[in-house]
Amino acid sequence: MTRLTALWTKETLALLRDRHGLAALFVMPIIFILVMTMALHDAFMPGAAIDVAYAIVDLDGSPHSQSLARRLDKTGSFRHVAAPATTDAARADIRAGRYALALVLPKGFGERLLTPAGADGQATESLTLMVDPTLNPALQLAFRNQTSAALGMLRADELTHSAGKLFGLPTAARPAERDWPDEIVSIAVQNDRSIRPPSSVQQNVPAWLVFAMFFVVIPISAILITERQQGTLQRLAAMGVPFRDVLLGKLLPFFVVNQIQAVLMVAVGIWGVPLFGGEALVMPTGVGLFHCWLVAAAVSLAAVACALLVASLAQTTQQSTIIGGVGNILMAAIGGIMVPKFMMPGTMQTLAEWSPMAWALNGFHTVMLRHGDFAAILPDLVKLLACAALALAVATWLNRRQTA
Amino acid sequence: MLKIDGVSYRYRDAASPALQDVSLTIPAGGVYGLLGPNGAGKTTLISLLAGLLTVADGRISLNGQPLAEARAANPRAIALVPQDYAFYPMLTVAENLAFFAGALGLARDERRQQIDAAIAFARLEQVTGKHAEQLSGGLRRRLNLAIGLLGRPQLLLLDEPTVGVDPQSRSFLLESIAALPASGTTVLYTSHYMEEVEAICQGVAILDQGRVLSEGTLDDLLSTADSSAEIELDQPLPAALAERYAATDLGHFKFGLFFRSTLGPASVSMVVEAARLLDELAEAGCTVRQLHVGRQNLEQLFMRLTRRSLRD
Repeated sequence: MTRLTALWTKETLALLRDRHGLAALFVMPIIFILVMTMALHDAFMPGAAIDVAYAIVDLDGSPHSQSLARRLDKTGSFRHVAAPATTDAARADIRAGRYALALVLPKGFGERLLTPAGADGQATESLTLMVDPTLNPALQLAFRNQTSAALGMLRADELTHSAGKLFGLPTAARPAERDWPDEIVSIAVQNDRSIRPPSSVQQNVPAWLVFAMFFVVIPISAILITERQQGTLQRLAAMGVPFRDVLLGKLLPFFVVNQIQAVLMVAVGIWGVPLFGGEALVMPTGVGLFHCWLVAAAVSLAAVACALLVASLAQTTQQSTIIGGVGNILMAAIGGIMVPKFMMPGTMQTLAEWSPMAWALNGFHTVMLRHGDFAAILPDLVKLLACAALALAVATWLNRRQTA
Repeated sequence: MLKIDGVSYRYRDAASPALQDVSLTIPAGGVYGLLGPNGAGKTTLISLLAGLLTVADGRISLNGQPLAEARAANPRAIALVPQDYAFYPMLTVAENLAFFAGALGLARDERRQQIDAAIAFARLEQVTGKHAEQLSGGLRRRLNLAIGLLGRPQLLLLDEPTVGVDPQSRSFLLESIAALPASGTTVLYTSHYMEEVEAICQGVAILDQGRVLSEGTLDDLLSTADSSAEIELDQPLPAALAERYAATDLGHFKFGLFFRSTLGPASVSMVVEAARLLDELAEAGCTVRQLHVGRQNLEQLFMRLTRRSLRD
């Protein structure tokens, strides 16, 4: 125990004095969480407001044209701004970048609402949509579709009203303006299970926590490689300190570091993100919290073991920084840390199954989003622990081989 | 007493063995020098003694007990001071000593006592709070040595302990090492500095290419009847004489010669050989400008035994 206490104290002191290592472990993920949660805020919210403004130039001024304007406004997807009185003024506004879309409702719009173009032999002036040519074509199309849909609803209501009167059916004096049919709920389809997609904060906190936990590779390899190069490992071996004690001496301090990271990142999600205008992270309670910790513990073991493996493979700290850094970024890229897995095509989702970071993130999402029980997280726990055991075994074998 | 008996060792995938049939007897209570050019097998031998490598061929025993058993019975019996600064640069001197004392498994009181003794021995009192990376070369060597003494080892293995230090620190280190046997620690000392070995070692072994070329007490090795001469002429040394005396050309018609003993004690042999050499040079028409004759020193012995060819 004296020996292990000495090893733990040494690792802790060495880490506390490694400013770059501490920055990589604590500062980097906090910045990532805040920046990415804010940057991807809308990308995770289907139906969220699009920050594109439009104006309606109502040349008709009829109850029907006003009704269409109100119906469009209610959809809330695009931002409605006050309209100028003329098309020329609207054109100037678009050129000046005040808004990107202007819908012109021609004179006689209300009168001709139920008269298909040219059906009665008279030309019907069409609706005009003026657009900023730099606007994303998909958004242009989206606005056109919304307008068409609102127009269709308006016509249908007007028709029902007129037909009712014609056939003597009981109708309201004026049909209520129905809201946009927002009862359609978006469901993200992930493999064969349908779950609600994570919000930005739910995706980013566990994702960057996992990324940060795997970054223990930088301080661990820096110390282990220095120990090997300087002959300190030889000295310890000559003192009768078995290599497994050296490994154990690193496992516990960095396990604790990983747990501090977890607490810190969750705290940032709960209290830090709302300060910047994002939604707060909601953590499971009771046994769910314990399951969350189980996942964090398994991720930590896998991360520290992988770090020891990298430190054993690399000959210099430069090599370990490259292998560890690039390896982490690759694992993060294919593991759904940088781009959420549900946004990936099928082949990439299959590839993601091979990244320990994907197992880790999946474990956290199972607990945090699906409120999964122990059996639900068990497959990911087993994969992470198997990864840890394998990495430790290979690291030990490599070190034994190097000294033989 | 450390006894190495017929030890051979070959590294995995190595073409030739690193050690071949090495036998040495290192008496307790002294400083024993292990000399050899690079690649001679010194580090391999030290690694075997430190337990970093396992003896496959031959036997090593410490005080009559097989090495593995002796180490198992007392893991602190043998301590290694590697050539590199084998400590933690980001820790202070005191923290380094505390860590290694803990790694040795010393109990609290003993730990405190040994740390204090090591600090006093290496005169590190003024720098205990300094980070190791801020120490000068000499202080780092002293810390490296102090860590090796924490377990009060019976045998201390020192691998080039004075590399890269100023003359004052070297002198201090040599004096300190020379004093260790008095407190019960036998020292096995490897170095490339012959004058250091000559100054502090009682026994010496010269290794090359995995074999022991010569071993014994320093006095015995240097007191063989062989002696050496350095001569300066007015022209090149005649080829026949150069061959007979295994001459080395030192430039400017200076030559180093070996007098092999053929006639009784060294002093007699030396005088007879010198007279014979002067006669032969006179016959060959060479004028002798300077002649120094005397007992060979360790460096001359080492160079003669290991040849002068460059290694690695």
